[in-house]
Amino acid sequence: MRTLLLATALLAPSQLVSQAAPADLARERADRVQWLSADPLSPARAIALATIPPAGLTIGGDASDIPLGTATSATVREAAGRVTLTGWGPDRTLPAGRATATHGVRLLPFGASGRTQLLVYRDDKPGKRPVYFPYSTAAKLSVTLTPSAPRVQRILAPDGATVEATEIGTVAVTFGGAAVPLRVMRVSIGEDESQLLINFRDGTTGAGTYPAGRFVELIPLGHDRYTLDLNRAFNPYCAYSSIFPCPLPWSGNTIVARVEAGEKYPAEVVPR
Amino acid sequence: MTKVRRASCVVRGVYLAAIALGALSSGAHAQRQWAAQLDLVGGPLYFDLFTESRGARICNGSECSAANWTRDADSLRLTIPDYDAVMVAAVRNDSLIGYYHNIGRLGPRTIPFRARARPDGILRAPQRRELYGSWDATFTTDGRTSPRVFILRDGGEGMAGAVISNTGDYGRFTGRVEGDTLRFSHFDGSFIYMFTAHLDGQTLRGTFHAGLRTQTSFTAVRSTGQRHLTPPEEMTQADTAPFRFAFRDLEGRPVTQDDPRFRGKVVIVDLFGTWCPTCHDAAAALKGLYTRYHGRGLEIVGLAYEVSGDTATDARMVRTFRDKLGLPWPLLLAGTPNAASQNATQPQLVNFTAYPTTLFLGRDGRIRRTHAGFYGPATGAAHTALIADFSREVEQLLSE
Repeated sequence: MRTLLLATALLAPSQLVSQAAPADLARERADRVQWLSADPLSPARAIALATIPPAGLTIGGDASDIPLGTATSATVREAAGRVTLTGWGPDRTLPAGRATATHGVRLLPFGASGRTQLLVYRDDKPGKRPVYFPYSTAAKLSVTLTPSAPRVQRILAPDGATVEATEIGTVAVTFGGAAVPLRVMRVSIGEDESQLLINFRDGTTGAGTYPAGRFVELIPLGHDRYTLDLNRAFNPYCAYSSIFPCPLPWSGNTIVARVEAGEKYPAEVVPR
Repeated sequence: MTKVRRASCVVRGVYLAAIALGALSSGAHAQRQWAAQLDLVGGPLYFDLFTESRGARICNGSECSAANWTRDADSLRLTIPDYDAVMVAAVRNDSLIGYYHNIGRLGPRTIPFRARARPDGILRAPQRRELYGSWDATFTTDGRTSPRVFILRDGGEGMAGAVISNTGDYGRFTGRVEGDTLRFSHFDGSFIYMFTAHLDGQTLRGTFHAGLRTQTSFTAVRSTGQRHLTPPEEMTQADTAPFRFAFRDLEGRPVTQDDPRFRGKVVIVDLFGTWCPTCHDAAAALKGLYTRYHGRGLEIVGLAYEVSGDTATDARMVRTFRDKLGLPWPLLLAGTPNAASQNATQPQLVNFTAYPTTLFLGRDGRIRRTHAGFYGPATGAAHTALIADFSREVEQLLSE
């Protein structure tokens, strides 16, 4: 115990005010780090995202829609809900929602038939490791949702996909100054599941965190109460690969103070 | 890339078949039982976990999903192959403490998981028989409502239940009462559903939990027999012409409605997918009808809508489905489960949106009834009633 105390005393002052992240958040972060830095389908490994046109998408050779520098090219087509790959060996079906590995890439068709998109991940493109501010107890807030009349609109989700979201109200956040109402959108992630997302800017935006702002998900506490844990603020996919459309922070959602919590922007040198 | 509810739970049917054959009995002596839980934001979701010599089972009462497990000195790792999911836990004396993880296109999902060894077998929670029966639930999200039906009953091993939407049931739920709170849940290795509720007079008020964080409030009142869900026979509409189909069987041979085996017969057309757990339930029930009525002129044909779209892969999946359930009727590869494929392959149907969808054809080949979804065994009396209803329909059509 004495050794531990001595070690603590030697830490820099800025580290002394922070605490270790709670176990569940630490685990979530470890999974996210693993995913972004090492998973074959890390957004950082994505090299192309394109809607499959009626004539098909070519991939491979230098003259292709999606050049890979390979000697041969293939074509991805969609008809009646079925996506096929021709030209690289025998014709094969690319199952929707699943990645097919071939020629050093992974091909993942997704989305509604007729507007099916193809995501291409390159195996030899390195992943990126997200970096975080030290855990801050001050950044974990309890908030109350002030409901508004639900309004359905199309927004860009964190993965850059255009989705229908329902604006359901605001939560007032007091963080180093005046209370700011942050708009909250419900985004469906399945037939029965949804996320309550806030896309926001703060004093660190473009100065330590991603220039296009960050997302954070509300955690329900029951009734209209929620935890807004800004330690869980995360970057949209476009922070890790420029192929993903980048959501613009929703108007009004600006915290003037610096929220030094959650995910940083690894491409920038973070000023100290 | 919407996650289809309870998709690709093929292992469930496979595993139940294995139990029926007694295939696992030799490993029973090595089995260890765990009282397990996922710690959702809305509270604990309880399930039973069995680690056995040949694998592991994740169980909601008598309904189980198969998993594999490995153990070293201080950790246990469960893998759930069909879902790319793992549960990794530190072993501390008789406890497991860890996390459930899986990765989708939207990134990792991480949920705290705990368990404690239960050497004495499963504890039976006390029953609350006054809650049993059928409840008409109304879910409310952002001012919009949608109907469900809850069925609560004695599941033999404790309180059991089912949640039914317009397109079928969510699988078997098991329940308990803690103080005033009723807690029913279903976890199969991927799909995570729970409802918590308390009785307020004659009304159940509560929250439906899906996944780690999604919560939807509901109220439920005793079913009165009045219509609450859209009746399954009104979900899908059919034209009045004789039903036509032309697809290939698992050996690649073309099969149509003109095949002599169907001519002049009453035919049940089962639109299904091997990825759909409810379709396993339905096929097992249809087999019962086939056994009873085939001699009097009933035929069945299964039209498969498989996710891969690759003929060889799909045929393999359907063959496994056929062999495990012992289905004697032709199964044909019809398409993939999306609107474009469904519309292209079923031009005589409007609103074919549920799996399974069952069509009843008279001896003249015309569609006499459509039935969207299926009430699996988890729904208890509703399951029994549906089979009786299907039997009456077949009897009626055979008599014409």
